[in-house]
Amino acid sequence: MAKETITRQEYRVVGKAVTRIDAAGKVTGKTVYADDMHLPRLLHAKLVMAPYAHARIKSIDSAKARRLPGVEAVVTAADLPPHRKNPSNRREVLLAEDEVLFYGQPVAAVLASDPHVAEEARDLVRVEYEELPPVVDPVAAMAEDSPLARSPVSEVDRTEEKGHIATGVEQREEQGKPSNIASEMSFKRGDLEEGFAGADAVVEGTWWSGMVHQSYIEPHVTIADYDATGELSIWTSTQAPFYIRDEVSEILEIPETKVRVTATEVGGGFGGKIFLYETLVAALAMVVRRPVKLTMSRKEDILAATPAPQAVVELKTGMKADGTLTALQARLIYDSGAFPGAPMLPGCLIIGGYYKCANLGIQGYEVLTNKVSVGALRAPGAHNATFAIESAVDMMARKLGLDPLEVRLKNAVEKGDPLPSGQPYPAIGLKECLQAISETAVWNERRDSRKHPNRPDGHPPARGVGLAVGGWLGGLQPASATVGLNGDGTINVIVGAADITGTNTSFAQIAAEELNVPMSMVNVTTGDTKTAPYAGMSAGSKTTFTVGRAVKLAADEARRQILEIAGHRLETAPDDLEMKDGVVRIKGSTDKTLTFGRIGHMSTGFAARYAPVVGTGTITARRQAPGFTVQIAEVEVDPDTGEVTLLRYAIAQDAGFAINPLSVEGQMQGGASQGLGIALSEEMVYDDKGRLLNPNFLDYRLPTTRDLPPIEAIIVEVPSEDGPYGARIVGEPSIVAGAAVIANAVADAAGVRVYDAPITPERVLRAMGKIKE
Amino acid sequence: MSKQIITLNVNGERQEIAVEPRWTLLYTVREALRLTGSKEGCGTGDCGACSMIVDGRLVTSCLMLAAQADGTEVTTIEGLAPSPVAGADGRLHPVQQAFIDTGAVQCGFCIPGMIMAAKTLLDANPNPTLDDVRLGLAGNLCRCTGYTKIYEAVLSAADRMR
Ligand code: FES
Ligand code: FES
Repeated sequence: MAKETITRQEYRVVGKAVTRIDAAGKVTGKTVYADDMHLPRLLHAKLVMAPYAHARIKSIDSAKARRLPGVEAVVTAADLPPHRKNPSNRREVLLAEDEVLFYGQPVAAVLASDPHVAEEARDLVRVEYEELPPVVDPVAAMAEDSPLARSPVSEVDRTEEKGHIATGVEQREEQGKPSNIASEMSFKRGDLEEGFAGADAVVEGTWWSGMVHQSYIEPHVTIADYDATGELSIWTSTQAPFYIRDEVSEILEIPETKVRVTATEVGGGFGGKIFLYETLVAALAMVVRRPVKLTMSRKEDILAATPAPQAVVELKTGMKADGTLTALQARLIYDSGAFPGAPMLPGCLIIGGYYKCANLGIQGYEVLTNKVSVGALRAPGAHNATFAIESAVDMMARKLGLDPLEVRLKNAVEKGDPLPSGQPYPAIGLKECLQAISETAVWNERRDSRKHPNRPDGHPPARGVGLAVGGWLGGLQPASATVGLNGDGTINVIVGAADITGTNTSFAQIAAEELNVPMSMVNVTTGDTKTAPYAGMSAGSKTTFTVGRAVKLAADEARRQILEIAGHRLETAPDDLEMKDGVVRIKGSTDKTLTFGRIGHMSTGFAARYAPVVGTGTITARRQAPGFTVQIAEVEVDPDTGEVTLLRYAIAQDAGFAINPLSVEGQMQGGASQGLGIALSEEMVYDDKGRLLNPNFLDYRLPTTRDLPPIEAIIVEVPSEDGPYGARIVGEPSIVAGAAVIANAVADAAGVRVYDAPITPERVLRAMGKIKE
Repeated sequence: MSKQIITLNVNGERQEIAVEPRWTLLYTVREALRLTGSKEGCGTGDCGACSMIVDGRLVTSCLMLAAQADGTEVTTIEGLAPSPVAGADGRLHPVQQAFIDTGAVQCGFCIPGMIMAAKTLLDANPNPTLDDVRLGLAGNLCRCTGYTKIYEAVLSAADRMR
């Protein structure tokens, strides 16, 4: 339940746990996801995917596929309508044209009215390739003499990444001699040498975290239709309808007025459903002049969407005997895959962003390889960096005999402290989260976990407790919303943001709060890009923080309009009126009243006296509301198998003000579970030819119910300066800490340190010295 | 491809359907009957999003061919509530209502399968412990919730059904 850290203002609707307004459709199977849609004359697309990580396409023979009855077309890059091309921007490489850059890259599309026929025909397309040397390991790829993963990159487009995090920092694109390093950056503060000289303990290590997939349970699905008048309609499972409209319009050179993007219900996104094959599907629809649907299979989705990068983080830190952090030196290498776009910048900010430290040196590299190019996954880049810094802090505390929680409290950043970029933090709640975790049972019973009776095999149980910090800065983008009064007195809220986390429920709460009505009087709709007021992408944890403010303003404006009509009608000043439950009355009076229904009628009916009530709210957000989390685990490590069993888990997170505590808890638990997947089992494994070995849910292991105990969620509330009612970002921070939490717990339990995530049984046994090369 | 007529009793209604040999039960129910509540998350039996109850057993319908299901009784998520009118009138199945009330529903994509698995579990074991629930739902992946609220939902549904 919400924890009182600052006296919490009480409201009528916001701040109360409410069930989601879209839940009934979801439990009955009525909710329509993109793949549930059907259009007349619909064609199904199947992609021919490259079986090499790096190759030249010599020829494509589709004659046999075309001859299969039911096949409408086989489309290659040469058949696509004219469009803008930039070989360094994955969004502008619809199909591989000459060079194949990653295993699974789409090379051609087969269209048929029956999906099975399309699949059969896909296997009949013959593509001849000439293999090129694949570049697989990002560290080796940085060497001067490494082969190049691809032709040099120019004009990197970073608009998508900016939706996730606002940094105020530009990164340097690599110019000059061709190399696999797409970009690099650095932050410096103070004097590192001095910092290390003043340290009583220095810890140095290299942390590696593997490539992981967002693994939304709904694979990517897009439908596009291009009609005779030149109108393009796209229905797609996306977090970013306006961004897709803008990009598709630019790439296909169709004005934005003629592109309608409808974000269908998103069956999980987590940053992975921003933009993928929408332009391709639109282009296919333009070729055949029939509606086209692309439903990716799980295998295709794991192979060729936008997973999260592997990263190598070299970190050296120094601490004084009293626990003061004196120096932090880091080098972060993010494997971007075949196109630029790795979250190196947020990683560099995060690694030096948790603790006060006078002396910093941070370098980041974004390296190209022949793998599928990466995208965002919930706080992109942050978990890789956090795994290193949060392991190191524990190691230093252990060396100095200090309490790991106290050490963190001592150094934790507060309002006004600078990020590595120099930018000062606004109000944040890291210390409060640490405090909250210090009150959990897992923490307070940590010494008892050793006293557990022996295991059935007679071994003493290797149990231990570990904790770690996580954080995320959040994105910024403008937003708008409208709030209107219907003829019957109910309220319509219209927004342009895709609802991926229950935000529409929170908007209903906000409108209800401002108009002092029960939520049941409010309806919230996400419009399409032709009808909805603009909103940024639902990414960067910013939807409630930004769109919520717009809804609040719009509701306030609707309220003003309602009071104005009522004031005119009741012959009194609007200030003398109050409203409750859809009734406006003169303050203190019971007989002079007017219902919302009456006002709605008087502002919408024939020859109505008053103009309709429509409030508009528009905002731009310039200051972030970063979110911090602290998480703690109790684990048991099997000394024979190296298996780590999670016994208890708790997460504290600062939500600023939890507009809907039920969904905030859900975000915390869900994000934490994804962090635990990264920590324990998830890894996309490539062979030395750059072929993905595990593109399925049997071998790419998500956490199951057997792996996860109930996760205790403790909401901390340190109000943000700008968010509605003090709300701050919520969605992303929860994923960040997992790998470090587990590594620290394993170290506590088994006395060994694992530097590679996921922390698989094999890696634990290696750390124990039980497996040698 | 040549088709064969099969008979299914789906949610209490008898259906004769012409199916191709390669059609799965999931594809048949979604495309031929347009009952799209059951989802495909993997197509390989690993996620449980396609779970249906076939002759009383929980089945991953993406792995069962339609022809294999000939003559069976199939319950899908659409058949669970006697009258699945949106929530308010309490006519949902207690498992469905419990999922709503505990906040166990996020993106919703896993939910139809999860609810079918939960119902099967509760039919066999009306008084499950937390461990029973964790074991019973082990074939169903949810990426959004971390399962905590799903455990609460199933335990609460058990209470409601007693
Ligand atoms: S779709 Fe059948 S188990 Fe995943
Ligand atoms: S609610 Fe999204 S996968 Fe379970």
